[in-house]
Amino acid sequence: MISVTPTNQQTESLDLDNLTAAQTALEIRNLNLHYGDAQALHNISMAIPKNRVTAFIGPSGCGKSTLLRCINRMNDLVEICKVSGEILLHEKNIYDKDVDAAELRRRVGMVFQRPNPFPKSIYENVVYGMRLQGVNDRRTLDEVVERSLKGAALWDEVKDRLNASAFGLSGGQQQRLVIARAIAIEPEVLLLDEPTSALDPISTLTIEELITELKEQYTVVIVTHNMQQAARVSDQTAFMYMGKLIEYADTNTLFTTPTQKQTEDYITGRYG
Amino acid sequence: MKQWFNSGKPWIWLTAGAVSVSLIAVIGLLMLIGARGLSFFWPAEIHQMEVRGTDGTVSTVIGEVYDTETVPMERLRESGVQLENYNEDTLERWLLKIGNREYVPLDFTWVLAPQVIKDETPADLAVLERSKDGNFYGYVVDVLENGNSVVNDADVRDVLQQRIDRVVELNEQASDLQDSEIGAINYALNNLRLERRSLELQGQLTSEEEARISAEEAQLRADYQVLEQQLFELREQASRDEVVMRDMRGVELTLPMYRMLAVHFPNDMGFFAKLGHFFVQIGKFVSDDPREANTEGGVFPAIFGTVFMVLLMSVIVTPFGVIAAIYLHEYAGKNAITRLIRIAVINLAGVPSIVYGVFGLGFFVYMVGGSLDQLFYPEALPSPTFGTPGVMWAAITLAILTLPVVIVSTEEGLSRIPSTLREGSLALGATKAETLWRIIIPMASPAIMTGLILAVARAAGEVAPLMLVGVVKSAPMLPVDGNFPYFHLDRKFMHLGFHIYDVGFQSPNVEAARPLVYATSFLLVTVIVGLNLTAIGVRNHLREKYRSLEH
Repeated sequence: MISVTPTNQQTESLDLDNLTAAQTALEIRNLNLHYGDAQALHNISMAIPKNRVTAFIGPSGCGKSTLLRCINRMNDLVEICKVSGEILLHEKNIYDKDVDAAELRRRVGMVFQRPNPFPKSIYENVVYGMRLQGVNDRRTLDEVVERSLKGAALWDEVKDRLNASAFGLSGGQQQRLVIARAIAIEPEVLLLDEPTSALDPISTLTIEELITELKEQYTVVIVTHNMQQAARVSDQTAFMYMGKLIEYADTNTLFTTPTQKQTEDYITGRYG
Repeated sequence: MKQWFNSGKPWIWLTAGAVSVSLIAVIGLLMLIGARGLSFFWPAEIHQMEVRGTDGTVSTVIGEVYDTETVPMERLRESGVQLENYNEDTLERWLLKIGNREYVPLDFTWVLAPQVIKDETPADLAVLERSKDGNFYGYVVDVLENGNSVVNDADVRDVLQQRIDRVVELNEQASDLQDSEIGAINYALNNLRLERRSLELQGQLTSEEEARISAEEAQLRADYQVLEQQLFELREQASRDEVVMRDMRGVELTLPMYRMLAVHFPNDMGFFAKLGHFFVQIGKFVSDDPREANTEGGVFPAIFGTVFMVLLMSVIVTPFGVIAAIYLHEYAGKNAITRLIRIAVINLAGVPSIVYGVFGLGFFVYMVGGSLDQLFYPEALPSPTFGTPGVMWAAITLAILTLPVVIVSTEEGLSRIPSTLREGSLALGATKAETLWRIIIPMASPAIMTGLILAVARAAGEVAPLMLVGVVKSAPMLPVDGNFPYFHLDRKFMHLGFHIYDVGFQSPNVEAARPLVYATSFLLVTVIVGLNLTAIGVRNHLREKYRSLEH
């Protein structure tokens, strides 16, 4: 009956309802979000554990990307968007008045659906965030470039053409470059918004392998509508539907023994 | 038939037809002004015609055929011209440029074809270009130095050429001296006068200051005397030689050599000699100052004025327009007021340009310029410094005129940048301003250049507002010269567009000016195309650099 079998067996399961402070990377509390009069997120509460991969799944329009964009306040750019509730990063609400959104985004990096390299060289793409912070020392930047590109499994492919335009790379390479760009400034949390939906299967596989490696250093939150992907890469999975968090559990548990009917319908392919 | 219509072919034909018509119009226009304008520089043959007048007398006419016309006999009979033995309905007549302006009442004359008995092109006929009174057509008889012939056994043409080269060289030295060194002294003297006046106004003209200024003035005057002496010597040397010419009446005339610019014998030239002459004439047209109330000589000050004014305008309009567009697109609230402002900006582009001229004159020249004069140049009053039309006001007026174009295309460029790039930058911790500077503006630069191209194309061709805010028929000095501070933005300037109007419609010598109108038009188009191609080159380079993602 269950079409998707989790393959990610490496991490021991956590009690997601009672994480200790040391285990928690982010805590979302009673989050509501309105676009004008329409409510897009309904009272979401969840804790995202540190150094693990958390996946948001659900049908299109369920609010999973919106929730992800709340975590680094990307929704601030949408004028009609109103957020209430709290998201705690190190026990500090990121929606507090005294939190600088740019500063927050340095700590919570994000990779988007489509690869979006800047119209600059590969090198300049990677050091963009460092330059923003005023780091211009050539040796430091060189080290950052090498470390980040290695971290994004791209170094061997581009080390001889760092000054070539980033547009010359393939789609999969561009997406890994964007990941390198995000980890160059060493964020605590890395948000991935359907990072492989515009890529071919081989590139997807490379990125998935990369995600598994990234969690050693970063807390990874990934939105995907590919359930196999969620099963393959994530440690815990949240299923969302119509702006509500329906079920949030260990990936193994969620895919094998879902407690909610809607979850079961979705993962068995009855709708969505 | 219906099938043919449904196939879409008529539509293709229609669209292709529209393109063809536009193309033919543009090429036809360029060919017309190009042919008319450039043929002016080609050395025309000089005809010597024997003409039997209506009263039976035979006279000789020497000149170049300027125009050919077919007229009905009817009209000639009405004006009292009777021709014997000629019974056609129409006849041809030629307009001859006979030059020699100081010896004949008009330097153009009509010749009726049937009256011409003999028409030949003798190789000895010379064309003398002169700095005054236009061309001289005739035969070279002798070359004199201090009144004595110096030809002896040599070829008179070679001697004449040598002597003309000599005076051209001397005249050049004299005008260099006058423009640079004597000009600099005059400029310094004027500055001293203003300094004294300024001190006087402030009540600080102490006796030491007065003595210092007077001493400097005396020194400058002494220098001036020396230079003036040099100038007189050069002129003296230049007027040593004379040339004896025989004109079409058969009279021998002694002409002073110092007014000669060049000599050529068009009837004795081969194709390549003519081609060389053609390019030399074009070079002179582009690099010389105008003479004889703009009907002769070159148009260099007008080219310089046009290009300088357009560049100055670009420097003003680009930052202004870009900044305004950034505010409108990035920061202004998306509400009714912003929309209203945007509509107002777009509509500004439709205001007739003369209105901008009136605004520029009233606001910039009289109000702003007048206030600047009172604040910063009280010593020069009552003669205005900035309170009078000048190249700066012209550039600012045109900058306002072209501002909407830059704003609209910059905004368009900003909105074409994919939002993913914006988000990508913000997600790395960049603020909005950092994103603008590092990503958005560089990527919008091709669009900004497009706006600038359109602005330049419009500004370079605009004449009406300039007539009110700074263009003059003849400017004695360029807006850029060797005197500190090198850029004199208060000066008036010449402009190719206005030059066309002036030469074509305000000239005392319409026939002489006509080819110049075409030549100047062609040049104006060339200058605008040149400016545009430069901008397009820059834009294509930027486009290549910031080529958007291929999705």
